[in-house]
Amino acid sequence: MSYESPIRDMLITGGKTYSDITKEITRPIENKPSKAWWIGFGLSSLVLALWLFSTTYTMLVGIGAWGLNKTVGWAFDITNFVFWVGIGHAGTLISAVLLLFRQKWRMSINRSAEAMTIFAVICAASFIVSHMGRPWVAYWPIPLPNAFGSLWVNFNSPLVWDVFAISTYFSVSLVFWYVGLIPDIATVRDRAVTKARKFWYGFFAMGWNGSTRVWHRYEVISLILAAISTPLVLSVHSIVSMDFATSLVPGWHTTIFPPYFVAGAIFSGFGMVLTLLIVAREVLNYKDYITTEHLDAMCRVVMLTGTLVGLAYITEFFVAAYSGVEYEQYAFINRATGPYWWSYWIMMGCNLVAPQVFWSRWARTTPWFIFIMSIIVNIGMWFERFVIIVTSLHRDFLPSSWTMYTPTIIEFGILLGSFGLFFFFFFLFMKFLPAINMAELKSIVKTKHGLELEKHYTDLLNNNHKMANNAHDTKGDSVHGH
Amino acid sequence: MDTNKVILGIYEDPDHIYDATKKLIHDGYRVRDVYSPFAIHGIDRVMGIKRSRLTVAAFIFAMTGITLALTLQSYVSFFDWQINVGGKPFLHIPTYIPITFELSILCTAFGMVACFFYVNRMVWGKNADIIDIRVTDDLFVVAVDVIPNKTNIAALSELLKSKGAIEIREKEFED
Repeated sequence: MSYESPIRDMLITGGKTYSDITKEITRPIENKPSKAWWIGFGLSSLVLALWLFSTTYTMLVGIGAWGLNKTVGWAFDITNFVFWVGIGHAGTLISAVLLLFRQKWRMSINRSAEAMTIFAVICAASFIVSHMGRPWVAYWPIPLPNAFGSLWVNFNSPLVWDVFAISTYFSVSLVFWYVGLIPDIATVRDRAVTKARKFWYGFFAMGWNGSTRVWHRYEVISLILAAISTPLVLSVHSIVSMDFATSLVPGWHTTIFPPYFVAGAIFSGFGMVLTLLIVAREVLNYKDYITTEHLDAMCRVVMLTGTLVGLAYITEFFVAAYSGVEYEQYAFINRATGPYWWSYWIMMGCNLVAPQVFWSRWARTTPWFIFIMSIIVNIGMWFERFVIIVTSLHRDFLPSSWTMYTPTIIEFGILLGSFGLFFFFFFLFMKFLPAINMAELKSIVKTKHGLELEKHYTDLLNNNHKMANNAHDTKGDSVHGH
Repeated sequence: MDTNKVILGIYEDPDHIYDATKKLIHDGYRVRDVYSPFAIHGIDRVMGIKRSRLTVAAFIFAMTGITLALTLQSYVSFFDWQINVGGKPFLHIPTYIPITFELSILCTAFGMVACFFYVNRMVWGKNADIIDIRVTDDLFVVAVDVIPNKTNIAALSELLKSKGAIEIREKEFED
């Protein structure tokens, strides 16, 4: 058996037993949804309707419905795409990278973070399809023989790499998520009382029976999936950054982009995970499972990655100054002081300055405060992409083509609507699937035997402390006595 | 299997079932399987389960992915139809690396998981041959084969109980 230090703090509180975990985590699935769930689901459906309307309008009219022009050919669409792909990075990072680093606190949050990944990538993909303008030929980036209507794709293009990267990321994340879900789906199946539940959970549980042979193989493939997903996470946002970095546009053409985008993606992803989990732990009453210690750990990651992207912003400035290329220098001066100066300073404020509050333990453990901070992080990261894309494009090499970009109401509709799409899926997930990985969580709960052991050691430790304190007190008294 | 009959020892604690399994194997009983709501670390080694060869499968699938990706890209851009884009080379291996990497990951993940389902005989809609409905909730079950004229059921039950079994019963498999 693996040995676990009995003095270590528990990752989940409330002295849960195995059956407590099963009962509490399957509760939302087995009972009628709460009022809060209906309100949330209703609101997201409304916003989803806005997305449907705006996207359909764009399909019918063409991308002339947007505020793009000849100079600014990418704006809200690609900003939103990069924003959502970035959000999608925390899920696989939490489940894969933290699994490799044996960070067991991930167990309470990995399921919902992975779900978030999948829904965020769906949102991202929707922007790619709609920005094509002719979504009915969206299959053209797939390498199909010339007879299918297009020429072969150009494998030197990072846009083609991106098609492969995003679709691989989506499918591998989906597989990873589903494999992790199977034991928990089996738990719901075995508790099911209604016919429908028995059938559907039985169908997706694939005959799971909890045999040690199966568990053994399960552990092996989990580890390999984690090992291959880790470089995958890093590669996907690196490739997204190459969409920009391999071009010649000043402000885009920098080698720092891949690590900078990856740090930003983790930053925004953790921001979104915090937003979702703070709501979920309230609505589903999972405060014993997602404790303030979990929030603390995530806030530390937010602070670290926020500082990393901040460092990247400053490095970019330095490299532009040091390069001696005047176009590059102008691009950066224009970002900070040009007509879009406000977006630059929102980005700086939200991403570099704001997360520094997490040096304080109070800030890392106060849910309402973290909630506000997580929204600020998300706003900041959206603006980062806006700054990179719009401010770099709106003043290019030829001053006669300099222009401004103003989004249309339809673009706002799609942006807002994509949140509806995201939350619509997320609420369905919270209702129909176990939002916390029960099987993994049970493996870190201490058994009766373990608890007795723990009590024994804690008592021993307290006694030692008491003895040490007593000794200290006597010493202190004697000093005062003199 | 020369027997359809098993004795089930049902436990509440993974430590207890671990000890019980170890003792059973030491005493020469044939442990058919141990069922648990989560993976009990180390019990697979005690039961003598060989390390899964799924890692080998993963490697083979990764190689397949790499080969496929390189073949596809060089066939398309060099052998089948060369397109001159700004005078860039037609066969340029470095730019094939991102897609080669992605496809190797894709093949590994799907291939390995498909193999995992195949070796476990898992398929959508399969009825679970679940030994006790509570093993997906909070109980741990060890199934010991009863070999006719050999296994001493009374001694076996005694052993299971001494290791903390909360319930002991017999079960017969249908075929």
